[in-house]
Amino acid sequence: MAKILIVEDEIPINELIKRNLQSVGHECISVFDGEEALNEISKKNIDLILLDIMLPKIDGYDVFQQTCGVPTIFLTARNGLTDKVQGLKLGADDYIVKPFEMLELLARVEAVLRRTKKVSDSFELDGLHVDFPSRQVYLDGDLIECTPKEFDLLEVMINNRNIALSRDKLLDLVWGYDFIGDSRTVDNHIQKLRSKFRLEDRIKTVYKLGYRLEV
Amino acid sequence: MKSRTFLLTLILFLFFFNSGILIVSTITLKNNLAGFKDQSLREHYFIVSSFVKDVKALEERGIPHEDAVESLYKSYDHFYSEQKVIITIALDGKQLFSDVNHHTFKPSETSRLMKSNERHVLTKKIDGKEHIIVEGALPSPYDRYTFTYYYDISTMLHSWQTMTMKLLIAGMCLGGLLAICLFFVLNRIFKPLQEISTVSRRIAQGEYNNRITIKGKDELAEMAASFNHMAEEIQNKIQQITEASKQKQQFIDNLAHELRTPLTSIYGYADYIQKVVRTEEDKLFATNLIMSESRRLQNIANRLLYMATSRENVIERENIQIKELICGVKQSLSMKANEKGIELIDECKFDTLFCEADMIHVLLVNLIDNAMKACEKNGMIKVSARIENEKKVISVQDNGKGMTAEQLNHITEPFYRIDTSRTRSIGGAGLGLALCKEIAENHEAELKFISKEGEGTTVKIIFTTP
Repeated sequence: MAKILIVEDEIPINELIKRNLQSVGHECISVFDGEEALNEISKKNIDLILLDIMLPKIDGYDVFQQTCGVPTIFLTARNGLTDKVQGLKLGADDYIVKPFEMLELLARVEAVLRRTKKVSDSFELDGLHVDFPSRQVYLDGDLIECTPKEFDLLEVMINNRNIALSRDKLLDLVWGYDFIGDSRTVDNHIQKLRSKFRLEDRIKTVYKLGYRLEV
Repeated sequence: MKSRTFLLTLILFLFFFNSGILIVSTITLKNNLAGFKDQSLREHYFIVSSFVKDVKALEERGIPHEDAVESLYKSYDHFYSEQKVIITIALDGKQLFSDVNHHTFKPSETSRLMKSNERHVLTKKIDGKEHIIVEGALPSPYDRYTFTYYYDISTMLHSWQTMTMKLLIAGMCLGGLLAICLFFVLNRIFKPLQEISTVSRRIAQGEYNNRITIKGKDELAEMAASFNHMAEEIQNKIQQITEASKQKQQFIDNLAHELRTPLTSIYGYADYIQKVVRTEEDKLFATNLIMSESRRLQNIANRLLYMATSRENVIERENIQIKELICGVKQSLSMKANEKGIELIDECKFDTLFCEADMIHVLLVNLIDNAMKACEKNGMIKVSARIENEKKVISVQDNGKGMTAEQLNHITEPFYRIDTSRTRSIGGAGLGLALCKEIAENHEAELKFISKEGEGTTVKIIFTTP
């Protein structure tokens, strides 16, 4: 998985981001000021930087100018348009305003990683092999047929693995906002995924909330 | 306004000036005419009397009076026709000798009714020329004859007309000159007004530093001066308002940031517990953070509330033993000081202070707390109550890292932190000194910061009231 550098001086927020990214399988390095960030960037091969703008010692914009093209998502508490514009004008890949939702952060991280091809094209779990570009799923080497929606659902579950997704969220992410249906649709598809891909133990039902793919 | 004044003045001038000319010339004409009439009457009388005398003399010589009248008339007519005067004579209203004179005058209608010694004067246009006509009957026994005297006044009338014309033309020329002068004079008078209107328009458009140049010492200059004063005041007020709104905006931005950061943590960890956490250990970690961040929010809320209320509340002051006050402050901070290995020293040079004890307590705690943040291990903080320049002064002195002049300018602004990253590694919400400033202002005291980078900071609370 990707190696992500988190540059954020607020310790609780830094820890929070780290825990969430780790739970979906990324490797994280936490640093708390601009100087440390530049050290880490020069030392290690980093796939993505989550960069706060207001940092001690060297501020986020200055750090960004020395990242040598490492994909970067800015984090800021300010919702001002000038901040956003300045961030994006400098060539940042995305921009997240605090307070943010964890799923939003993960989705943006995922999107940037995919765009920059820093994420693997396939996913392996207990003899299950998912190939994202060709949208094919193999179980013990055999190709298993699945509908487009089943594949979408599986992809969302994999991208947000270890995170509980509510039925409503799943409806949003897989079927889209304008889909007219109820949570039974989600339940049915989850049942199909479980039986088709031997995921009965992996896809857990979270009480009163939804489902979680545990890896 | 200007053009109206211009037109009105010009029209009034032309009207009165020309009317004056007309009145004067009319009066002159009337006087002249009256003079000519008098003269004509006298002339008529003189001619008639000499004519009658001559007729009588000729009659005494035995010449019949008809012949005498004829020959005399001829010589008289000849004599007078050279003086622009025409005389005619009529018998019983019938014109005599019309073949002799070259005039085609008709006798007036009234001539028949003439009695002797009665004379008429009138002006009449004859042959295209104005004449004064005097008619009168000859005295008896020749009262059947009417003697008429014509005096040509057309030259006089003509010269009068020319004069009037000349006067009117002169009037017009003067009017034109007046118009030009009036234009310049009015321009000069209205120039300051025009300037005022341009400047006020500019000011309305936001160019507040426009001013009118003041010339002279008249009413307009006075008005310009008061206008400038007004502009000055407006500029100042606008500046104050802009400054205030900038500060307010800064405050709101900062507040939003201060609220958002803990909220991000609280929301994020709650989210984390709900969706990710599987072990008790993780749950405890997350809940702890939620609690501490909530406390931080509460802290900010309390401080803001305190600031808001302290601004309006009237403080209840009493005489406080300064030693007790400082001891109390030391006590509440001693634990923290011990932890960081900082020494607290106090010194009291006066006994009582007229203040609200709780407020000054908060103020001192805040100042000492700040001093402690600036100090390294084994630092020293000295709290002293002294009298300087006959004013009571409490000072808090540390030997910490100090501040730059730029930082000193901002430290009492709400949410300002020396560290631009606003890191909370050394704690605080950035409201401490803003609160201190409020408290000091409530006590009519002045907060003075003296600092040098690397050498430490001294904060003085100077009480202006004893």
